[in-house]
Formats: sequence, C-alpha cells, structure tokens
Amino acid sequence: MKKGTGARGQGSGMRKQESEVRSQKSESRTAGWIALGLLIATSAFAADAGNTFFLKNADVYPVTGPMIKGASILVQDGKIVDVGAKLVAPKGVNVIDAHGSRVYPGLIDSGTELGLSEISAERVSVDTSELGEFMPQLRALIAINPESEHLGVVRVNGITSAISYPAPVRGGGGGGGRGGGATQYISGQAAMIHLSGWTWEDMEVARSAAMQLNFPAIRGRGGRGGGNADFNPDEFGGGAAGGGATTFAEQKRQYDQQIAKINEFFDAARQYQKERMSNVPGFKKDLKMEAMMPVLEGKMPLAVSASRARSIHDAVLFADKQHVKIVILEPHDMDKVGAELKAKNIPVILGRTEALPDAEDAAYDEGETGPAEAYKAGVKFAFGTFDNEFSRNIGLQASRASAFGLPPEEALKAVTINAAQIWGTADKMGSIEKGKWADLIICDGDPLDTMTHIERVFIKGNDTEMMNKQIRLYRKYLERP
Amino acid sequence: MRKTFLAAIFAAAALVGTQARGETFVIKNATIMSEGPKGTFKGSVLVRDGKIAEVGDKVMEPAGATIIDANNQFVIPGIIDCHSHIAGDGGINEGSVSVSSMVDIKDIINPEDIAIYRALAGGVTAANILHGSANSIGGKTIVLKMRWGKDAQGMIFEGAKPGIKFALGENPKRAGNAQGGGRGAAPTNLRYPATRMGVEDTIREAFTEAVAYKAEWDKYEAAQKTGQRVLPPRKDLKLEALKEVLEGKRYVHAHCYRSDEILMLIRIADDYGFKIRTFQHVLEGYKVAKEIAAHGAGGSTFSDWWAYKVEAFDAIPYNAFIMQKYGVVVSLNSDDAELMRRLNTEAGKMVKYGGMTREEALATVTKNPAIQLGVQDRVGTIEAGKDADIVIYDKDPLSEYAKVLKVLIDGNKYFDRDTDVSGRAAQDAEKKKLEEKEKTEADSQKKQGAGGRRPQ
Amino acid sequence: MKNLARLTSHRRSENALPYGRASNALPYGGASNALPYGRASNALPYGRGSEESARPDGRASNALPYGRGSEESARPDGRASNALPYGRASIWMATLVLCGAPAFAQPEPTSIAIRNAKIVTVSGATIAKGTVVMRNGLIEAVGDNVAVPADALIVEGDGLTVYPGLVDGLSTWGMGTAAAATGGGGRGGGRGAAAPAGAAATPAAPPSRGPEDRPSTTSWLKAADEIQPGDRRIELARSAGFTSAVVFPTRGIFAGQGSVINLAGEKAADMVLVPSVGQYISVSRGGGGGGGGGGAGFPGSLMGYIAYIRQIYLDVDYYKMLKAEYEKNPRGMRRPEYDRALEGVMESKRILLPANRWVEVERMLNFSAELKQPTILYGMREGFDSRSTDHLKGKNTPVLVSLRWPEAQRDRDPDDEETLRTLELRAKAASSPAALKKAGIPFALYTDGLDQARDIQRAVKKAMDSGLAREDAVRALTLSPAEIFGVADRLGSIEKGKIANLVVTRGDLFEDRTRVEMVFIDGKKHTPAPDATGGRGGAATPETPQGMRR
Repeated sequence: MKKGTGARGQGSGMRKQESEVRSQKSESRTAGWIALGLLIATSAFAADAGNTFFLKNADVYPVTGPMIKGASILVQDGKIVDVGAKLVAPKGVNVIDAHGSRVYPGLIDSGTELGLSEISAERVSVDTSELGEFMPQLRALIAINPESEHLGVVRVNGITSAISYPAPVRGGGGGGGRGGGATQYISGQAAMIHLSGWTWEDMEVARSAAMQLNFPAIRGRGGRGGGNADFNPDEFGGGAAGGGATTFAEQKRQYDQQIAKINEFFDAARQYQKERMSNVPGFKKDLKMEAMMPVLEGKMPLAVSASRARSIHDAVLFADKQHVKIVILEPHDMDKVGAELKAKNIPVILGRTEALPDAEDAAYDEGETGPAEAYKAGVKFAFGTFDNEFSRNIGLQASRASAFGLPPEEALKAVTINAAQIWGTADKMGSIEKGKWADLIICDGDPLDTMTHIERVFIKGNDTEMMNKQIRLYRKYLERP
Repeated sequence: MRKTFLAAIFAAAALVGTQARGETFVIKNATIMSEGPKGTFKGSVLVRDGKIAEVGDKVMEPAGATIIDANNQFVIPGIIDCHSHIAGDGGINEGSVSVSSMVDIKDIINPEDIAIYRALAGGVTAANILHGSANSIGGKTIVLKMRWGKDAQGMIFEGAKPGIKFALGENPKRAGNAQGGGRGAAPTNLRYPATRMGVEDTIREAFTEAVAYKAEWDKYEAAQKTGQRVLPPRKDLKLEALKEVLEGKRYVHAHCYRSDEILMLIRIADDYGFKIRTFQHVLEGYKVAKEIAAHGAGGSTFSDWWAYKVEAFDAIPYNAFIMQKYGVVVSLNSDDAELMRRLNTEAGKMVKYGGMTREEALATVTKNPAIQLGVQDRVGTIEAGKDADIVIYDKDPLSEYAKVLKVLIDGNKYFDRDTDVSGRAAQDAEKKKLEEKEKTEADSQKKQGAGGRRPQ
Repeated sequence: MKNLARLTSHRRSENALPYGRASNALPYGGASNALPYGRASNALPYGRGSEESARPDGRASNALPYGRGSEESARPDGRASNALPYGRASIWMATLVLCGAPAFAQPEPTSIAIRNAKIVTVSGATIAKGTVVMRNGLIEAVGDNVAVPADALIVEGDGLTVYPGLVDGLSTWGMGTAAAATGGGGRGGGRGAAAPAGAAATPAAPPSRGPEDRPSTTSWLKAADEIQPGDRRIELARSAGFTSAVVFPTRGIFAGQGSVINLAGEKAADMVLVPSVGQYISVSRGGGGGGGGGGAGFPGSLMGYIAYIRQIYLDVDYYKMLKAEYEKNPRGMRRPEYDRALEGVMESKRILLPANRWVEVERMLNFSAELKQPTILYGMREGFDSRSTDHLKGKNTPVLVSLRWPEAQRDRDPDDEETLRTLELRAKAASSPAALKKAGIPFALYTDGLDQARDIQRAVKKAMDSGLAREDAVRALTLSPAEIFGVADRLGSIEKGKIANLVVTRGDLFEDRTRVEMVFIDGKKHTPAPDATGGRGGAATPETPQGMRR
C-alpha cells in the first residue's frame, strides 16, 4: 500500500526550525570593535552578552499597539529597550535579521501543570493534588522540574510563560484531584514561570501568582470534553454517567456545607491576621495561615475553579464577603454570569475552546463561542489549556474562538497582554514595549494558526534552543537507514 | 439540528435500505481541494443521484438543481475518521475476556448519538467505529457514514469491508488486572495477559486455534464438494472472525504504541499469513516505519498527542510525516468525540510538523483513510463517479479560522450551519412548551388531590 | 370427623388431609386458602385418572385439565377441581353449609349466572344488558337472551359491567418476591425463599470466560415450576381486575420459560394454564452489574450479550443436528453432550426480546430475523415514535407495552437542563398504545411491576387520555395478550366454552371512580378487600417477605 504521490523532500519545515536565521556579527569595523570592547569593559551588565541584540527587518506585533512594518527591536540584558521602524543598531551589538518574519510577544498559557506532571497516567510522575483540604502553604514553584520534557515541547510553539497550578482544574470545581476521593478546597499557590531556565529560581516569574481555590459544585453531568477512550482503559462499559443516587436536596446541602467550610477557614485566617498584627503574646506562627495573608491583604488573587453558574455566582458572593480578589478558572455559562462578572470586574481564564457542549441539546459550537460571549459581556479573559499535552496548542484555542465571533486581535490579547494583566505581571511581559522583558517569538505567519512555523523563541532575551525531545527523535529516525 | 427536525426530514428516507437518491446540487466558484489528479483549483462541482457527476472549472447546471454559490469558500472531500467510538450502545469494550472477537459493533449501532451530528458539524462524513482497546483481540468493527437521521442500518457504509480491532501495549494488559487498576477487578480476577509478552502469546494462541478451526472447515467444505456426507464442525463466532482475518475478508486494525509491539505484530501476521490493515495510534511508528511499509500496513495516528501514558512518551508530531516518507499510507484520527470535529485542523498541523504540502496534509483525513478502509473507489477525493460526500468551509479548511458551512453525504445535505443556527430558537421554544405543559399538568394533578404518584 | 367427612365425601378426597396445611387454617369462613376444600390434598400425585388418586366420587385428582366436559374431571357436582372456597365474607356461601358440618367449606355453586349486566365480550359486540352463565369453570353461555339455569347462583348485574378478566401480558406475579426483584445475576427465585436478591447473586461462581460457560442462563427454568400461590401480589392483582398473567422468570440472559397462569389457586398446579409459552431474554445484567466486563465476567457489554445469544442459537442448530445424527445411528459416533441450556432454548416456541427505544426496536427486529425465532418485543417505551411502528410493520412481531410511563425525576437540580428527548418521551410515552393501534401492530399492555390497582388504573387511563380508545385498552389487557401467547382459543374474551375468567366492575374499566366489584377465576368468585381498589395509601412494597402459607 505504497503511497501514490512521492514523498516530499523532508524537513522544509524542519529546515525552517533549524533556522536559517543566524546571528551575524556586524561588519567588523575597528571603531565598532573598540566600542564593543569599551562596552564590555565598562558596562555592568557584561555578564550576559547573549541577551543583548538588535532584531531587524521584522513585522512587529506589539499587541498593545498597531503592527509596525519593517521594524526593529533593541534588546539589552533581556529587556526591550526600543521598538520602532527607524531604529539603528548600536555599534557592537549582535544583529539578528528576521528577514521579514513576524515578531510577537511570547504566548502565555494561564492554565497548566508544566513541570509538575510528566506522564498524566502515572501517579509517580505527577506532583499535583497533594492530600489535605486546605493547603495554602504549598508552593507549586518549587516542585517544578526544569528538565521536564513538556517545557521544550511547548516552548517551541511560541509559548514563553505559563501558570502552573498545584492541582488539576478539569471539569471545573469540586476539588479533589485525579483519583483523589477527598475534597481539596485550597490546593496551594500557583506559580508563573518562564518555560526555560536552569533552575526553578531561574524560571520564576511570579512565585505565587495566585492561590488556587476549588469551589464546590453540585454534580450534574460531567464537564466537557470527549474523553479519549484510549486514555481511560478503565472505561469498560462505556459511559457510566456518574451522578450518584443522591437527591438534589442532599447535594445542595453538601454544597452549602462545603461553602460554609471555606468561609470558616477564611474567618480563621482573618483571626490569625488580627493576632499577628497585634503581636499577641504566645503567638505562634502557622505556615498555612501565613500563606493566607497576602490573599486577605488583596495582594494575591484567588484562582477559583468554578464552572457552572451556581458555583460562579456563589464564588462571587464569597469574594465579596471575604473581601478578596478572585479570578475564575474555566467558567461555563457565560451567558448567565457574564454581567455579574463584569460588574465586579472579575477576570476569567477560559478553558478549552475546543470542547463538546455540556448538554445534548446545546448548540454544537457552545465551546467555540464562549470567548466571544465573554468578550461581548465585557469580561476580561485570558486563555488556559489546563492540560500539559495541549499547552503547545494554546494559540489554536485562541484562533478557533475567532472563527466563532471573537475579534482576532482580542484572541491574541487573550494569550498575551490580558494574561499578564490578570496575573499582575504586565509591567514585565505580555506585549512588545519598552521596559518589558524580551519574551519574543519570530514566526512566518499568524502564530495562532495551524500551519505557522515558529522560527525562534526568546525568553528574557535569551535565544532558547529550538530543540526538544520530539525534535531529537525526529532527527534521529529521519536518518535511519 | 436536533433529531426532531432533521429526523422528520429524513424519516422517509431513513427506512429505505439502500441510499436514497440524492438531490441535485451545483457548488459554484469554490476553491476545490479535490485530492485527486486535478489538485486544488477554483471551480465547481455537480452533484446528482448521490454521486459527483462533474468536477471542473465550470460544470453543467441542470434545471431544478440547487445552486450553492461558494464564492470565496472552500470545498473538500468529506473527512473520514479512521478511529472512532461514537454511535455505539451499551459499551464499546467487551473487557471481560482477552479475546472478544465474537462481539460486533454492528450489533449496537446507535444512530441517535448526538456525537454523530457534532462530527458532521466538523466535516466528518464517515468513520471507522472500533471496539475499545481493552483486549488483545477485540471485537468486530464497522464503517459508518454520518447519515444523521437514518436508522442503524441506514448508517452503515455499505460495501466497506468489515474489520476487527486488536490492541497492544498498556491497555490490554492493564484491563482487568488489579495491579493495573482495572475498575472492579478484584485481585482474584486477574486477567491474562499482564505483560507485552503475554499479549503476544494471547494473539498467537488465538490464531493457532483459528488456523485449526479453519482447517476443519476447509476439510468440511472440500468433502462437501466431493459429495461426501460429513458433519460440519461447530460454528464458533470467536474463531469465525479470526478465520475471516486469515482469509483476508476482515481488516485488522491494531491499536499500538511502542515500536517493539508494532514489530511483534507484524511478525505474527507474517507467521500466520495475514496482513495488518492499519496500525492505530502507532505513536512510535516512525521508529519502525520501514517495517510497517514493507508489510504494507497503513498508519492511523494522532497529530500531536503525547505523554498521557508511558507508552505515549516518545510520541512526536512528525510521526505521520516520517511514516509517509517511508511509504506508509498515513491518516490522522481522533479516537475522541471532541477531536473528531477538528480533523481538518489536525491535518493542517502536518504542514507545520515535517512540512507536508497542503494537499498531502489534507489527504491524511480524506484520501488516505479512504484507502486504508478500502473504500477509495467510493470516497476520499472529489472526482466524478465517487459518492457525493462533500464539505464546504467558509475559509481555508486547514486553518483554525474556518468553519463548516454545509455537509453533503451521498448528495444529501446532512448539515447546514445556517439551518442549525436558525433552528436553535425553535428548539428552545419547543422545550419550554413541553416543560410548561408538564408543569401545568402536575399542578392540576396536585389540585385534584390525586396526591401524585407514589414511588414504585 | 371422619364420619362426617364420609358424608361429604363426594366433595372431598378420602385421603384429603384435614387442615394439614397452614396451622392457621380455620373452618370455612376464615383464611380462604387454608383449606383444601373440594380438592385433593397436595399429597396426591397429579395423576390424571391415576388409580391411586381415584376418588370415590370418580373424580380424578386435581391435576385435571380444566375439563372441557371431560369425563375424568366431571364431578357429580359439576364443579371444577381446583375451585377455591370463597373464604371471605360471602353471604351466600353460608347458605350452602352442609348438614351438620359447619366446620367444612360451603360447596361451590354448580353454576353462576350474572344477569342484567352490561357485558363487554371483546370478541364481539358489547351487550347492553345480558347474562353470562358459568359452569365447570367455563363460560356456558353469554348473550342478551340467555336463560338462567335453575341451579345457577344469580349475581344481579344491574349497574355492573362484565369484562373478560384482565391478563397481564408480562409479569412476575406469582413468582414470589425473590424472583420479582431485579437483582444481579443468579437463578430465578428459589422456592419459598425470601432471601434478598443480592444473596442469590453468584459470589461463588467464577466469572464466565466466554459463551461456553453459559453465563446467566437458566433457559430450562419454567415459571410453572416456580409458582408461589401465596405471593401477596396475586391478591392485589385480582383487586385490579386481573385474573391471569403470563409470568416469566426474569433474571439472566436466558431467564427461562414463561407460563400463563390464573391468579388464584391453592397450589401452583391449579394455576397453570399453559406451562411454557416462550423464553425470556434480556440483554443486561439487571440492576447493579457494572459496565463491560471487569469482575463480572462475560458478557459485560451489550454487544457481548448479543454475541452470546447468537452463539447459543448456532449451538442449538449444531446440537439438534448432532442429536439427530446420533439418534439415527449411535454406533461409532461420539455422543453429543447433554446441554440443558440448549434444551431449554429448544423447548421455547418463541422468544421475548427487550426493546424500548426505536433504535432498539430496529435492532431486535433485525436480530430476531437473523435468529429465525418467533419474537415478542417487550418494553416499547418509544412505541409512539413512527420509526418504531415503521420498523414493526409487516414483521409479524407483536409487542408488549409497559404501563410504567416514564416520570420526571424528583429532586433534580433545577439548573440541570433536561434534554428535549427526555421531555418528548415523557410527553408522548403514554400515546404509544394508541400509535401502535393506529399502525396496526399487535400489542398488549403489561404492568411491569405496578402492583397497586390504583397505579395500574391510572396508567391505563393515561394511555386512554393519550388516544387509546377504551375498547382497545380493554382488548390490550384481555384478548390481545391471549392471542400473542397463543391461548386465545381459551382465554381473553367472553365466549362460550372459554375459561370463566371475568372481572365485574361498577363503572367503565379504567375510569378513576370505577370499582372492581369482583372477579371470577375458573368460575369461582373472588372479592377484593374493601380498600384494595380505593387508592390504598402507603403501598405495601413487594419487598416484604411473603408469608408462605405452607
């Protein structure tokens, strides 16, 4: 069964990834050398000459402004120093020619377990979902494996940073991780990381970007998603639709109890705050409570996973009551809660656009039109894949939403500047502007679409290796005799 | 569109065993990615009597034909999903035994599964419905067309050769083993095999039996021909299916991941004298592409899923590209009701990963799966004489920005986005009406003091 | 005592045990089924005309066929053999007390005539005012101009309507609670066992490894052998107007063979009208069995069940062939191994297959054609859907429609949207009978676990409110089930010669205010308990262990 048409020569894509775009030294000019030498000698930032360069001949998409054709970007010590059409490369600086390619800010995935989970079916390789009901003191950052194969795989598709959560956020709400029976309300502190670094300290963008709260839910049908039959070898009966025999009244009671429990915990934290501030004698430090302080002070938002309208509404009430800031993860029912969220300026992280509708009778494109609905409601949102394996495709998530009503520029914002703003890092990232980090991607087309090749990815001005486990295997087996 | 609408429209056609004669359409001025010798060009398609009657820059426009002006739109052959588990009632796995070749997906077709409609909305016109992967040798499989609104018989892709599912690797050895955590499996209910070695043994044992079974039947038939009066052997459904494999009457679709098990199955097939038709998932197919090609099997894989299981850890998105380079016919499949709706963009990724041409990329979800399923004479390309299974997109079908506008199967329109969107309000209204009627009835019953029904 | 017995010996067997059964046996007037009035004791062999059991009055033991004037069974008093005493407050019975024997049962009237009643014969035109005469447990005459025999006990039918006794087309009444429960696998209800269904499941049996293990198969089991006359639901059924039922063992894939029984009798043999009328087949493990496989063994998925059934029928053909060959000449041939599962299947003249959704109707009709077995489909929840009726047309497959109409789930999450499909089903399910009637598909109704008269009546009324004419509703619970199970020559309508099973109501059957006044079974009258038809509060659930009266 040989193929009819001849196989195309390999790796035109591959060739592109290996990047013809090489750094070139500027033409040597004595003066330039001297200037460079002086620069090196005198400047304090001599340490990383690699993250200083001048990128030219690019169509730059700053995101926060209109596209600049034939522009250049000057990066020094990993920061964007200048952007514009008429820039001139300073002497002695590494010049990179983009050959007319496009340059965008690196994409941001606001929902992952990158570094915390390697093979999702194998518990030993997964470090999310600790035991315990209230675990605010847990920090995702320190458990991140800088050599996780996922980082390289995701990064080469142009994602430069991500939020890694201490517990999965799938199906929205109700706590309890994979295989965990007991409920977990507060899973710990989610971190924002760059997808490259020698250590997690290197990778750290925001050590505690948010406190993850799994809001209770009344279990109806399961969440969205087809569910690959292959991923669930235990699914031997096909669709044992959950939902036990308990009545709604019973479920509602449990639900209310769970919310009460969360409130109790927060009240206890406030009490601790009081005692802490008053320097009460005999005051003992409690790590859990200490971890709650920034939340109560409004410095750290709660990332609240809540899918259905009821949970979202109650989460909003909860936030009001406890005077805390929240971000809602994976909300559905935008048509029902949009107005409320907008009124309170509560941002959301939208889950997979490509998702099956929740109910049999729902519109077939319910998932795809979700972002447009959020946009129309005036709710600020960013995208999250909530799936390490899918993270590389976050761009596709955004563009698909554009097919179903979301303006394309909004789609791009939702994976760049909006995310940075929601997580409080917009001064450093999310767009191509002076003063921000040089988290940049160079690509031959729309980075949110399927066929685009990402040529180079810079993180803090460092040209990251366009290499990962998969490319290594690709190369190897391409060469098999 | 919900069953109430389309079902009403197609109810008459539904019960006719053969295809209903399709309508006559002319799709005009579209960019046609024909996947055939004409390649990609701007032109028109004439659909008549369920077939593609004409394809070209211009086509005949018979009187009474419905003209679809597809200016600025794209037309592709209907997408074929080579690995799907939708549209089945009562479980897709007979996981109680390691060799379940006696069961048949054909017996459980559920034409009311909403997944069928959603697949249509994603451009899928046919799907290979497989038994699950719980067993080394699973059950019999069938190819369906997504003829939403027809009955079970009406969904069957008539003429498509039936298949059988094998499964290698973690799933069959995990199933039913306490160690693997099969649900409900007590330690006393460990099911063999628990290792890849055992998987091979299970398959070999089954085929050894099948060979003996076939020999008995051959002997019987030979004796019959010579007029001898002999008693036939007992017909055993399990072995009968494997006999069909040996005789080339039933395709083998083998779920597999690791290179070692792929090779293992090829060698079994060689030993027993049958062919694997397709390797499914085959995520490490790139490592043994040479052997797969030499055997003549096709590869049906994912675009870029990986790392969800240990055996998927070496998966690479260049898998399809490499296999194709070695001469394997490759397709992309979904194995998932959600992914099924986006096979067009999965195909688009093949341009990025490895550098297939656009036509090659699209072939992985149209022409190639048709070849793999042996129905390439009927579907997979837009060429005159083939079934009118056609999809119209509003934008480049390989791009995320595109939506399916219309889907034809056998020249009948089974999906129309405009109709779907405009019908939503009516469906909501109907539901409200029923809900209110029920409520008023319940209220009046209460008033009558009838006391409601007691729980039975 | 014994002398007195001899005096009345023409009514009783000489070896009848005095009050040998239940200890609470009272003289006539008490618990009606305590005494073997008029019948041979259960110690007798059921020999028809066996000398052992020959009675001085020449009557054979009670295993007689319900004698169509058979001499064997003709009693000098003309009564059928298994007639029960009218144990309850039956005034006229008191008048029949024999001389000097208040302790003994009143004799059964030789003949009963209901006169001046409205008579719905079902087989013919309704008689506005007529008379029906019963004798020997059979209908002797019916019409608007029928003479009342001199010896007949008269029941004044003014204001009353007489219908053929209702027939439940698919039932577990009389099978006892253990059989009624839809528990896990395992055998049909054990005799007299009140064990919960779970205990009957197969914890000891290893999980089946394939069709050869004959999983969940008890095809040889006959409902006729499992009848428990003390099943409390029988009495409830009579209050609802039922006089017979087609009862099946229902646990397992090949659950066993059903039987047409009368809903009154001291012992099982009295009740059985036809011992074997078909094989009950199901395609699920019933109740809690998990999904496809795992611990429970083969089969675990729907396709597994279907494959198993298919294999059984292939094995039946093979088995028949081998047996025939062996019969012809055993010498030199290995004998075919006895397979009682196959024997049971072979004994079954028709099969019952489940089908609720129209998809299942299509599926089972195809399957039935493949198996080449006369088939009845049961369930038929989507009978209203034209796709059900379209598939059924011309297939010669009658259907049994469950009266258990789908109801809204209580305590639902109000935020949870129900599907259009579910709403439609609830709205239209009760119109299935009307739709089937309109499409000309032969069908009967069955109670499907509804035991309370009020619930059954309401369910039928709902069908009528949804388009089923009353006469069609009546037929669906009388002549139609009789036809479907091949007993229409003796049951199901008020015609001369048929079994005297009647229900007498005040008011039209199935109306809310209608009362079932009495039923006749084999020509013997039964009166429902006072509150039986009046919407008894707090349903006595069938789970309470049945008092076994022996």
